[in-house]
Amino acid sequence: MVQSWDNVKGERQHQDSDTSNTAFKKLMNRNLFWDRDQLGDVFHWLRQAIAVICGIVWGLIPLTGVGWIIVFLTLSSAIIYGVYALYLRVNAEEFGGDGTLLLEGLFASVILFLLAWVLAYSLIHH
Amino acid sequence: MAAARYGDALLIVAISVVSAIICEGISWVLIYRTTNYKSLRSTIDRTSKKIETMKSQTPASAIAAAKKSKSKKMDRYELSLKESSRDLSLSKFKSGAVVALVLFVVFGLLSSLFEGKAVAKLPFSPIPLIQKMSHRGLPGDDATDCSMVFLYFLCSVSIRSNLQKFLGFSPPRGAAGQGLFAIPEQKLK
Repeated sequence: MVQSWDNVKGERQHQDSDTSNTAFKKLMNRNLFWDRDQLGDVFHWLRQAIAVICGIVWGLIPLTGVGWIIVFLTLSSAIIYGVYALYLRVNAEEFGGDGTLLLEGLFASVILFLLAWVLAYSLIHH
Repeated sequence: MAAARYGDALLIVAISVVSAIICEGISWVLIYRTTNYKSLRSTIDRTSKKIETMKSQTPASAIAAAKKSKSKKMDRYELSLKESSRDLSLSKFKSGAVVALVLFVVFGLLSSLFEGKAVAKLPFSPIPLIQKMSHRGLPGDDATDCSMVFLYFLCSVSIRSNLQKFLGFSPPRGAAGQGLFAIPEQKLK
């Protein structure tokens, strides 16, 4: 969907005032224009949610071994890639490239995943 | 009961949450509410958006042909961005010292409470480098025993970074990669 530059600027000014809640609501309507900061924030929180869910599930089953950290990294990155490339169909180059989008919130999510995994495993199985 | 054996882990998480809130409160009082910080932040946001706009408007062929005026303008914006990012980092120094003191006190308190005690069980054996932290001060050779230091590290980093993000205190994206030591470069003519 091609937009003129004036329309894009107007939308950007309007959307700069959006809250995070509105950003998540925008996920439901994939055709809307995305501001770089909003998209980055959505992916950050999506990563954190995936980290908590995976950590708790890994701890509940339980799954043990360093290899499951790699599985989590692969799974969460695949989900983020799927959301922006297949669901939202945004051009990653407009937002700094695949690396920029995939790195959004990555480190914090890994630490949060480890915390959730360790807590779930310790409290439920020991 | 299973939960009671490592119930101290929840206490460590709770203390981490409280200390993260206190640290962000201190940062807010000393930095985030000041007009200097707000104007620096808004300058960084504005400048990085301008740079992005100029980069997206200028096709590759024009960049290769080096339109002088646009290139000079972008260089000016990038220099301004670096200077503002450096000033932002400097402004955080003051609260950084106070926050470090709070964290030091909390860490000391937790160390005295949980010295030599495994507070959680790791579902994996960490690499030797990480074991120096995860098994610090613990008796025995079981690499899956988790010390307070490692758990506190996990809590601090994850809780504090997400709290900053939630409250809107995390560094602006335009300033990412810039920092205290990002010395503005003068373009050679």
